[in-house]
Amino acid sequence: MQTLPIISINIWEMLYALLNLLILYLLVKKFLYQPVKKMLASRQATIDNDYKQAEDAKEKAFSDQKLYEEKLSHAEEEADSLLQSAVLSAQRRESEILADAKEKADGILRQAEANAELELKKAEETIREEIISVGTVMAEKLLKREVSAQDHKDMIDTFLDNIGE
Amino acid sequence: MKTRRSFRLWDIFYIIMMIVPLAIGMVLQILTKPMAEGITLTGARIFFTIPMPLQDFYVTESQINSLLVTVTIFFFCLYMTHGIHERVKLKRQHFAELIVEKVDGLVNENMGEYFMGYSPFIIAMLALSAVSSLSSLIGLFPPTSDINVVGGWAILVFILITYYKMKCGPLYYLKSFTEPIALLAPINFLSEFATPISMSFRHYGNILSGTVISTLIAVGLSGLSHLVLGWLPGFLGEISWLRVGIPAVLSIYFDVFSGCLQAFIFAMLTMMNVAGAFPMDEYEKRKQRKQIKKQTT
Repeated sequence: MQTLPIISINIWEMLYALLNLLILYLLVKKFLYQPVKKMLASRQATIDNDYKQAEDAKEKAFSDQKLYEEKLSHAEEEADSLLQSAVLSAQRRESEILADAKEKADGILRQAEANAELELKKAEETIREEIISVGTVMAEKLLKREVSAQDHKDMIDTFLDNIGE
Repeated sequence: MKTRRSFRLWDIFYIIMMIVPLAIGMVLQILTKPMAEGITLTGARIFFTIPMPLQDFYVTESQINSLLVTVTIFFFCLYMTHGIHERVKLKRQHFAELIVEKVDGLVNENMGEYFMGYSPFIIAMLALSAVSSLSSLIGLFPPTSDINVVGGWAILVFILITYYKMKCGPLYYLKSFTEPIALLAPINFLSEFATPISMSFRHYGNILSGTVISTLIAVGLSGLSHLVLGWLPGFLGEISWLRVGIPAVLSIYFDVFSGCLQAFIFAMLTMMNVAGAFPMDEYEKRKQRKQIKKQTT
């Protein structure tokens, strides 16, 4: 079998080697470089997306927290005001009830007083009548003379009025 | 489960297709290589000749072997990117990413952002050069020890260099020869051609010298063995004992280390020369001028 000399220049062999390198370049580009690059890019995109989502979620959580805190403090205030208004209305109601009760009691008292006065007047009247009739009888018996009933009444009235003064 | 099985079958197919070309090369070597008689240092053996204008095209071992290496690398690429996924599912993906990212970093560092498209080219060059050189480990004729193979690559690099120098117009390219002074034009012109020649000779010479030194050491050790251990009785004296193991240690340097290093040097020089040939500032200026012209008209 023939062999080439150890140093020999052959342009076609050079061209062959050149094309070989070019073809291998294309193969490497198509089957190693581009798939890896594509995968790396898509991985980067996924990671970026994940980070963005995480950031968004964090932001949302923060805003939610703020909202809830606000609401919570609001709720406390509301509860306070509610309690206050309840206390106020209770106080009002209490004073109303008290006033009502007092009024009623006053009314009862007044009624009782009026009744008592009426009774007193009635009693006075009765006693006066009795005294008049007793006086009339006594005076008739004492004086044994006829005095008109009207005169007697006038006399005793003046007398009693004087005593009553 | 079914997809998994087909996935595995493809994997096995790729691995087999990676190994088959190398096996073919070895078989071819065994079938066609004549038994060596003494020390012979020859170039690649010619399988057949294709008549061509100017010069006949000899299809030699280096052509066949570089084709086999190319097929191996191709199936290696397919194997590496098989089942590639955002969430890493296979360990080999780490290696594929490592290769791509390292070479990307290398290109970015040595050539700049503008030349990022050269990454796959550099990967191809590194792989072809290194695997070609390492193919001598399994007894193949390393294509890189043939000047024509490395010379072809260097010519491609030369074309690229000239293309980038021409990017600012042929006039600018011609003017660049007269720098720093017009007197140096012939030297500049020579140095233009010195680049591919020095690149190819460096690479080819290193690999060939490795082969030469390995051959010399093997022959020398054989002689030494006969001299020192020849007194052993019978066939024991005929075995060259010193050739066991010692050449392998040396071959770690001359074949493995030198092969990888030369591949790296060749790729580095390619990057440096191509990036250095591109007058970036001038190109930007021209581009701006053109844009201004376009806007005015």
